[in-house]
Amino acid sequence: MKEFDLEGLSREMPYKMPEHFLDDMTERVVAQIGKERKHRTERRIVALFASAASVAAVALLFLHPFGTSGLNIPDYESISQCASVDEVLQNMTADELGVYSMMSNYYGN
Amino acid sequence: MKRDQSDIVNNQGSLSVSDESIARLLCDDNHVEEAVRLIMKKYGEPLYWHIRRMVVAHDDAEDCLQETMINVYKYRSTYSNEYSLSSWLYKIATNESLKLLKNRSGFTMSVDDLGDSLKDSVREEASPNADETLILLQEAIALLPAKQKMVFNLRYYDDKSYEEIHQIVGDSVNTLKTNYHYAVQKIKDYILEHQL
Repeated sequence: MKEFDLEGLSREMPYKMPEHFLDDMTERVVAQIGKERKHRTERRIVALFASAASVAAVALLFLHPFGTSGLNIPDYESISQCASVDEVLQNMTADELGVYSMMSNYYGN
Repeated sequence: MKRDQSDIVNNQGSLSVSDESIARLLCDDNHVEEAVRLIMKKYGEPLYWHIRRMVVAHDDAEDCLQETMINVYKYRSTYSNEYSLSSWLYKIATNESLKLLKNRSGFTMSVDDLGDSLKDSVREEASPNADETLILLQEAIALLPAKQKMVFNLRYYDDKSYEEIHQIVGDSVNTLKTNYHYAVQKIKDYILEHQL
């Protein structure tokens, strides 16, 4: 039977690679990698700022006067120790009483 | 950059950098572009031809090679010294070639169904003065199932050992040997049948 000698055949390809193809490809790939790296750095910076902003927001929540610890809500004991309204009125000066009565009239109390 | 002892200056005076040095540069964020340049210098041409033998058309080979190199950059952290750099690069290039062929074949066909269209591309892509037997050889390769094609190309053109092909393709050495044997037989039959 007729046998074809594959091993004796040239390893050449019947195609051509365009001139400077690999050099151009290298530059394109390096440029694209440069862009990828830039985007990655930008994404990291944005993520860093986002994390910092989150931390700051949480910190503000606790430190701000309107935060839970800053609300200064009096507990039952401190409320019970408060002076009555009559006591407060008795201790007011004439000017303070004038302002109080003006405000009471204004708010209809 | 610190060079390896195995980095040698060849006869043409250009520096031949060892795979170990390239791999080290690749994992170093400050030298990754240098590593990519070195890979293109050392492996760009063999990778291009490996891809081109799979996809046939130059434009497709160009897209695949570019995607291969971008993936080398993206997935550089997955490279392990367990395999040679060359095998890792060939593996990525092979996957990119198969991905392109898979996209080409669509949902209804398999990559192996593309044989006839790839075979037709061989003659379109061949240089006007190309040797007829070399064209027939490429046509025969184009008609092979993808796995046989990969194994044949890696062994016949790239002189890879079965162990290296195993690292690239993933099958057992015995399966690879069988694939190569069938590929050779089919190629011989095709050339004998079509040779004038």
